[in-house]
Amino acid sequence: MKLAEFSIAQLQNALVCGDLSAREIAQQTLSAIEQHNPALNAWTEITADRMLQEADIIDRQRRDGQPLPPLAAVPYAVKNLFDVAGYSTLAGASLFSDRPAAREDAWAVNKLAQSGALLSGMLNMDAYAYGFTTENSHYGATHNPRDLTRIAGGSSGGSAAAVAAGLVHFSLGTDTNGSIRVPASLCGILGLKPTFGRLSRSGSHPFVASLDHIGPFARSTKDLALVYDALQGRDSTDAFQADQSPQPTLAALSKGQEGLRCGVLGGYFHQWCNEDARAAVATTARALNASDEVTFADAEIARSSAFLISASEGGNHYLPALRATPERFEPLSRERLLAGAMIPAAWYIQAQRFRRHFQQQVLPLFAHFDVLIAPATPCSATTIGQETMHINGVDLPTRASMGMLTQPISFLGLPVTTVPLQTASGLPIGVQLIAAPFKEEMALRAARALEQQGLVMAQAATVSK
Amino acid sequence: MKNTPDWAAYLAQMEQVLALELDDARRAELLTQFSRIATMSAPLMAYPLDDRLEVAGVYQA
Repeated sequence: MKLAEFSIAQLQNALVCGDLSAREIAQQTLSAIEQHNPALNAWTEITADRMLQEADIIDRQRRDGQPLPPLAAVPYAVKNLFDVAGYSTLAGASLFSDRPAAREDAWAVNKLAQSGALLSGMLNMDAYAYGFTTENSHYGATHNPRDLTRIAGGSSGGSAAAVAAGLVHFSLGTDTNGSIRVPASLCGILGLKPTFGRLSRSGSHPFVASLDHIGPFARSTKDLALVYDALQGRDSTDAFQADQSPQPTLAALSKGQEGLRCGVLGGYFHQWCNEDARAAVATTARALNASDEVTFADAEIARSSAFLISASEGGNHYLPALRATPERFEPLSRERLLAGAMIPAAWYIQAQRFRRHFQQQVLPLFAHFDVLIAPATPCSATTIGQETMHINGVDLPTRASMGMLTQPISFLGLPVTTVPLQTASGLPIGVQLIAAPFKEEMALRAARALEQQGLVMAQAATVSK
Repeated sequence: MKNTPDWAAYLAQMEQVLALELDDARRAELLTQFSRIATMSAPLMAYPLDDRLEVAGVYQA
């Protein structure tokens, strides 16, 4: 049995029984990455020594009869914007390739290390996390394990590809406007974008402070919940973290669909996608007994506002480097960032005020619904290099528009689990299961119910070139 | 009907204000990118917000 066929619980059972040692798990993982990464271009750095050292610690604990931590010997990798001690944090940018190595792990990476997980390395992304395709001019495009000619989505494309290929059990990504949900959709795996402020961002390279989230990818709801639970905790150094105590979700998954009130998001979310996405939403709605349709008035303005906030904060962030070393910038993003830095303050402030307005309009809906259903992407994965996609009779730029259905939701800060469904073409497409703030459990339970009905299956892809 | 703003002139001013040195090719691409953002901003700026509505600030969902 291949490692990818084990769930995290099965992997740990094999470890406890002595069928596999942590070192064997690490060695098999590193060997599989070495074999398949050239076709995928998911890893930008492989941390073999660290992974083996972490494995040996787990094996010692097991030999000594000590209790094992919750993610003992589980292989994972992180988007290359998370600090990892001893390595330069790239944020997908050649601009940062020669900056000093991080002195300590990001808060989330440290939490995972304490939980016994084994870090295999850092993963490719769109430069600066600005894009939805992971077509990186300097580090190359990441290829989708379901079809190597297609994009993995972005900006956390390497994170999704690594899990979809079965090379690690989970990964970490970030989501400002859709950068977890878009690649999860296109690579056919699960992703969790928690509530804004739920998980610590300390030690991750910022892009848009008002919108950045971190979150995990996995191939099953149980694995996703287990990792999410391990990532929860208070970090007093993160000013944006919400004042909420941890709320573990794993145990609640067994409740499944029981008592869940689900609805479908129509209007903008029905209009700006193709038939594959509509069919996936309809299938999900039937399975979750969601007969009512609701709309977010002004969803399009919410998307524009998220875009303006992103452009403005991101542009300002990079302005000194745009001035000093423009030649070192990703050519696909340089003038986009510069344009953002020149946005009039009135536009930015109006967007921030509209955010409050939109929240006041939408949150009352959750008095009637626990979960709202919407497509995660307008269509399945496009081919690498494809500049536009044809949606709703319009040619849209792929790199900027693949996240148009995720942007209004992260603008609200709502928690979302993205689950993959199969389309008629054989490619996966994701559906967003959206819950009220800090109700991640509801979105995960809906995902689990879809798994139990056999509608959501995120098996590892077979990668061959 | 109001005239469309002269974004090229605005960007030229901003280039000076922010102490940037661009060539013509970069100016052309900047104008393309900025014009796209300006189009997106129009419905937002026309949106009637309550005059007591505050910015989201450090957003707590």
